[in-house]
This record gives sequence, structure tokens and C-alpha cells, in this order.
Amino acid sequence: MSVSRDDFSIAFRSALLQRGATQKFSIFSLIIVALVIFFLDVYGFTVVKKSRSILNDIVYRVTYLASTPTRLFPGINQGIASHFNLRKENEELRQVIERYKSLDLNLEYITNENKNLKKVLDTENVKTVSNVVLAKVLVDRNSPFLKSIIINKGSKEGIIKGMPVTQNKYLIGRIVETNYLSSRVLLLNDLNSRVPVTFDEKSTQAILTGGGTRKPSLFYLPEDYKFIEGITVFASGKDGIFNAGTPIGKTTEDGEVDLFVDPNQLSFVTVNLIKPSKEIF
Amino acid sequence: MAEGNIINKLFSAGPLILLYYLSISEVDTNLEKLFEVFSLNLQIIIIYFWIIKRPSLMGTGHIFFVGLINDVVMGFPLGISSLSYLAVCFVGNYVRNKSVNTTIASDWFTFLIALIFANLLFFSLLNNFSDIAISYAKIGYNTFFTLFLFPVFWLLFNLYQITFIGNQDA
Repeated sequence: MSVSRDDFSIAFRSALLQRGATQKFSIFSLIIVALVIFFLDVYGFTVVKKSRSILNDIVYRVTYLASTPTRLFPGINQGIASHFNLRKENEELRQVIERYKSLDLNLEYITNENKNLKKVLDTENVKTVSNVVLAKVLVDRNSPFLKSIIINKGSKEGIIKGMPVTQNKYLIGRIVETNYLSSRVLLLNDLNSRVPVTFDEKSTQAILTGGGTRKPSLFYLPEDYKFIEGITVFASGKDGIFNAGTPIGKTTEDGEVDLFVDPNQLSFVTVNLIKPSKEIF
Repeated sequence: MAEGNIINKLFSAGPLILLYYLSISEVDTNLEKLFEVFSLNLQIIIIYFWIIKRPSLMGTGHIFFVGLINDVVMGFPLGISSLSYLAVCFVGNYVRNKSVNTTIASDWFTFLIALIFANLLFFSLLNNFSDIAISYAKIGYNTFFTLFLFPVFWLLFNLYQITFIGNQDA
């Protein structure tokens, strides 16, 4: 009995403290270091925050570079495929040219219409346009637990936590972490995402809650509310973070929202430089 | 001779390179586009297998560093993945110290202990010290698929070991 206990303690100690030619650190010492780093980061000391911000910027750039092959290979495959389909592509292009020729006839009309519409735009809209930052998606790693992306613009461009992020004016998420040269965007389908929304003719209010799945769900609806498919859901702006009226997606019969923008297909996004009226984080 | 030596070293560094690459690149083992609940923690499988079979190829310092990189890329509090990976290392080291000869079945069983230990540490720390909410169902699926596919990767890594590393001293 005592022999087996000795065996256990020797194996246990050895597993924790053993070092060798290639194992320069014992597991025990590394666990202590990891715990210290973890608690320093969790309790948010300023020095650690700044160090993490610098580390984030460096790692995100390296990640972007390291992921280049995975972005290039699909492109190369497409290139090879299109080379073999050259004849078919040629015919399709001829048809496209014909279509464009017919569209050209309408160009003058559309140009005039565009001029008139520009006159309709007021100065408020022009101001809004200047308060946005176009950002490229650096890292889009599909984690099973967190649905977020990293963009190549940070506090240098005036981005702060809580700012809404859109693509083609459709809401996709909000900024949850800022570094000097990069930021993290929490997507609408993340489990931690909560957005007050409004929809239908009665301006029904609800909270759009991410579940880690593709489609976020609507919660806190009026009692016995029956969902109708295809109703556009807008941000209500009641949280003081998102612009009221920003379109998000369309309802489904199950009480989910089919987002206008596929969260897995993001390459460029727009950060609206609107200072949130309250800090939620 | 020297050229052969470099190639051998490169093959020996293969698992570590793969581990670094999985942590720092966009490549992920979360294939929810194909099958919504499918996700896999390949890093833990790599660490456990090589710690048991060839600990000289998996320096604990590297594992610690890989964990830090993973935390930065995934947006978790710093050090949490390192702790989880080190827990796997600890179980692996313990099993190696206690056993003379291992089989795929014994490795699979002990991997279950390592996986539960690592995930328990990871998610309890995340739950108690961070604001990040995580779906328990996703954790369950992730643990299940990681455990379920362990033998497949065991065979692949074993094949790699026999073919490219052999009995050479890494």
C-alpha cells in the first residue's frame, strides 16, 4: 500500500517538476507564470493592458501573414478552373457585353436621376459619411466559442469600445477590444451579443440574442407573439450604442433572424465613429 | 550527411510547427459550415500524443507560448489556454511515468482524463473570472468530437512518427 503511494507521489512530482535537455522549464513553474499572467490580465492592470494591446497588434499581423496561403489557395484553384473553362467563359462574357450595351442606353437617364437624388441628400447624411472608417478584416478565425473578427483599424483611427460595425449599412456587430492598430468586433451571432431591436408595423421591441449559431434569436417579446416570416428587423437604438433604424436581418418562423450579412463572409467592414452614450463593458 | 540531418530535424520539428501554425493562423478545426455542431480541439490532441510518445519534441516552454498566442487570436484572457495545455502536459507526463508500454486504447482512456481536466480548468476559470459567456452545449460537442477523433489522429501521428522520425534522437 505504502509502495503504491510512494509510486504515485514520485510519478506526480516527476510530472510536475521534471526538466530535461529539451524541457527547459518545469510544468509547475510554467503553471505559476500562466496563473500570474491570467490574473494580471483579468483584473486589468494598466501595464498589462498596454502590453496586451501591443502583443495583440503584433500577433494579429503575424496571423494575417500566416493565413495568406489559406486565402491564396482557393484563388489559385479558381484560376485553374477558369483557365479550363475559357471557352464557356468567353461566351458568357459576350452575353454580358451585349447586356451592357443595352444598359448603356439607359445611362443618361440614370445619370440624371442620380444627380437629382444627390440634391435630395441633406448635409446631415454627408456628415455621417465622414464619420466612418473602412476597415479590412485581418483575422476571421471561426472559433466554436467566440464569434468575432479582427479588423486592421484601431484607436489610432479613433475607434473606441462599443462602436457599431456595419457592412453595406447592415449591422454586423460592435467593437469589444481596441488596440493601437487593430480592433476586435463581436458579431451579432456570438453568445455574448445582445442588441435591442424593433420590427413590424406595431414597432415591437425585443432583444436580439446571439446563440453561437448562424442565426441569432429574438427574446423578451410581448406575450403570445406569433412570428411572421420575412419582417425586417432594425436596431432600436435604445441602448445608446447602435444607430436606430440600422437594418439587421429578416425574421424567420422560429423566432430567429436571418442576418442580411453572412458573418462568415466578411472582408471589409465599416466602423461608425459614433461615441456610445454609455459604456456597457 | 548534414543535409539529411537538417531534414531529420525538420521532420522532428513538424508537430511543433503544426501546433504553432494552428494557433497563429486562421486555419481552424471548427467545421460548423459543414456540420453545425462539429468542432475539434486539435491542439490538445497534438500536445497529448507527442508528450506521451516523444516528449523531447514538445518543449513545455513552446506549449506555454502557443497557449498565449491562442489566447490573443481567440480573444480569451491571457494565460488561460496555456494553463489548459499545461494541464494536458501534466497528465501526459504522469501517464508516461506510470506506464511502461501504451496502446491506442490505453492512450484513448488517459486522454479522456487529460481532456476533462484541461477543459474543466479552462471553462471554470473563464466562467468565474471573465465576462465571456460560453455555450455548455458547444463545450460538450467540442469535448465529444475531440475525444471521438483522438484514435484517428493517434494513427496518423503514429504513422508520421514511424515514417519520418523513427528511432532518431530528436
